[in-house]
Amino acid sequence: MENWIPVLFAAPTLLIIGILLSFWKSKQTDQADNCSLSLFTIIHTVIYFGISLWLIFAADLPITLFDNEYFYIDALSGYEILITTIVFLLVSLYGRGYVSGLIKAGDLDAIVLKFFYAAFCLLELLLVFGFMSNNIALLWIFIELSTIITAFLIVTLNARENILAALKYIFIASTAMIFGFIGIIILFTLSQKVIDGGSLNWTTLMDIAHSVDPSILSFAFIFLFIGFAAKSGLVPFHTWIPIAYARAPSIVAAVSGIVLNLGVYGILRLYAIGNLAGAGEFLKNFLLVIGLLTVIIAAFSILARTNTKKLLAFSSIESMGFMIVSIGIGAPVALFWMLFFQFTHSLVKTLLFFCAGIFRRQYKSNKFDMIKKPFQLQPLASWGLILGGAAIIGTPLFPIFLAKWNILSVLVSASFPAFVVLLVCFLLVAVGFVLFFIRAFNQKTEEEIQPYQVPSNMKVPIVITICLIIAMGLYIPSWLNNILLDISGILGF
Amino acid sequence: MIDTLIFNDIVRGLFVFVLGTAVLIITQRSLTSLFKIYAIQSFILAIMAVVLFIDTGTLNLLFIALLTLIVKTVFIPLFLHKSLKKMAVKRDIQFYYLTPASSIIISALLMFTVYFVFKNFAATLFEDSLFLLGGVIGVSLVMMGMMIIFSRKKILTKITGYLTMENGVLLFSLFMAEMPFIIELLVMIDLFIVILISTVMAFGIDSSIESFHRRLVKFGLEFED
Repeated sequence: MENWIPVLFAAPTLLIIGILLSFWKSKQTDQADNCSLSLFTIIHTVIYFGISLWLIFAADLPITLFDNEYFYIDALSGYEILITTIVFLLVSLYGRGYVSGLIKAGDLDAIVLKFFYAAFCLLELLLVFGFMSNNIALLWIFIELSTIITAFLIVTLNARENILAALKYIFIASTAMIFGFIGIIILFTLSQKVIDGGSLNWTTLMDIAHSVDPSILSFAFIFLFIGFAAKSGLVPFHTWIPIAYARAPSIVAAVSGIVLNLGVYGILRLYAIGNLAGAGEFLKNFLLVIGLLTVIIAAFSILARTNTKKLLAFSSIESMGFMIVSIGIGAPVALFWMLFFQFTHSLVKTLLFFCAGIFRRQYKSNKFDMIKKPFQLQPLASWGLILGGAAIIGTPLFPIFLAKWNILSVLVSASFPAFVVLLVCFLLVAVGFVLFFIRAFNQKTEEEIQPYQVPSNMKVPIVITICLIIAMGLYIPSWLNNILLDISGILGF
Repeated sequence: MIDTLIFNDIVRGLFVFVLGTAVLIITQRSLTSLFKIYAIQSFILAIMAVVLFIDTGTLNLLFIALLTLIVKTVFIPLFLHKSLKKMAVKRDIQFYYLTPASSIIISALLMFTVYFVFKNFAATLFEDSLFLLGGVIGVSLVMMGMMIIFSRKKILTKITGYLTMENGVLLFSLFMAEMPFIIELLVMIDLFIVILISTVMAFGIDSSIESFHRRLVKFGLEFED
């Protein structure tokens, strides 16, 4: 049964891509096309969500696939896959109405439509396989391919700037990943010293970690870190995020949040190996420095933003920095809350991009000074943006508050200076968001603006996301608690 | 098995050629010659793999040589040439931040830095000083490729920079540990997809958005406009 899991994941994607690219004949109108094409995507994401639920609740993790060579699912992979599939499900529901709006406004060409949906499904497959792969080289390939597919999704819009944004993304991410591959080769050589033939499997590397040379492992870690850091938008490789997020369609920006998670996931696994090998002290300091630097730069950039999507992009950078700091603390409690943060951050970012997408449709711009009469024109999107903004800065009663607060309280005892810096940045980000919203929602105007009719299938996912976020802030279910504790055990924290 | 001395000499000679091609790529302005130099560089790497195969007898190396020969010396340069013919640009005159001369000086400095860093780990990672040199030249090639990406303007030149980086990784892996063949194959496929998509996007910058989308959905395989 277990060996069927990758097939179960791959089959719907390949089937849909096959149908779309070889047999699909366009209907009369673009809108009718969009209806049936998005239905395919929704079916796809529902199947994925179903499998991930089965993995979390019914399957006996960890599962070893194909004799442990290439694929492997433990609690951490299962958890990341669950986050991925939930976000993709919400995005595909929202995407039905959103893409139809793009076509109506002439922002999306009808000829790229089926490729857009095919790439969307393929991206989900690549991300899930990335989380499932037990082999670092395989993970490297999935990350590379996910870069390409995301870039493809960005250039489908009718704007020349998108091509430049996508190229910038490809060059930064791929260049950094080349350095990552040097790290993989060093790691492979290192493993050859311990076991015959060498290995790049997470599981094998964890087993042999205590007998490898910690200094060379740290050396390999730095190379691999460059690759993963570019993928997860850490300073100094963060420059692609604001440009790509601002140019990408909202649904692509929302799923790129998961691409960032993939980078953090790689760093987390590598750190666990380095920690077991005895390089923990060096790696902790390294991650703390990079994480803090990321948070500082993002916090100051947030203060001066005038573009909604760029604001969200810098907030993503800040959150990634926060996660890296919490890995760098190296305590099980910090890991627990970092993983919780990852889940809630993905959900909140999805909500924010949904609302930003509606604002973009309404005002034809992402600039804050174009926002006029938001509460009359787009009440749901406005409240969504405010609730999401409140959640992302860590207002009490929202789940991110729990995560940030607990991470900060662990950091006090780990490193007091780092705590002060992080606390200041935490407040700066809050100030940045509040300032942005006050400025954006107080634009005066006398003119009459035609409201953009938001179809109900775009509203439903927003409401679902808001409910999920509020629920997670009030109550952590026991299964989630158990998974997060399991993961600390697996990673040897 | 060849005589160690001759083997050392051959490999050292090939190193010189690799570095020579790298310097040419950094300074070259004409795009056609850029692709030709890249093809030559890949060809030298293929020869290097064959020489190492004769020395060690690892069959994997022969496959790598074959793969490099087919994909990197024939297929990718041909594809780039074909794309270039359809484009208005022929030369990449501009250099950002760095002039060709300063690029070469920085490359030399980078090489020394890489050498001094890797020397610390030489005992564990490399068999002997020749292999260390191979590794160092590999990583330096990666750095030079990155410099090309930073300092040149045209997308096609940047793509050549990326390809040079990838060649550097190949050189590095030849002298450290050959990866399992399946991984090498997947990396090559990945490389080709990256090149394909970014070349198609390079078209989009000069053409209208409609014709760009038409080209994009055909994955750049057909070149009528």
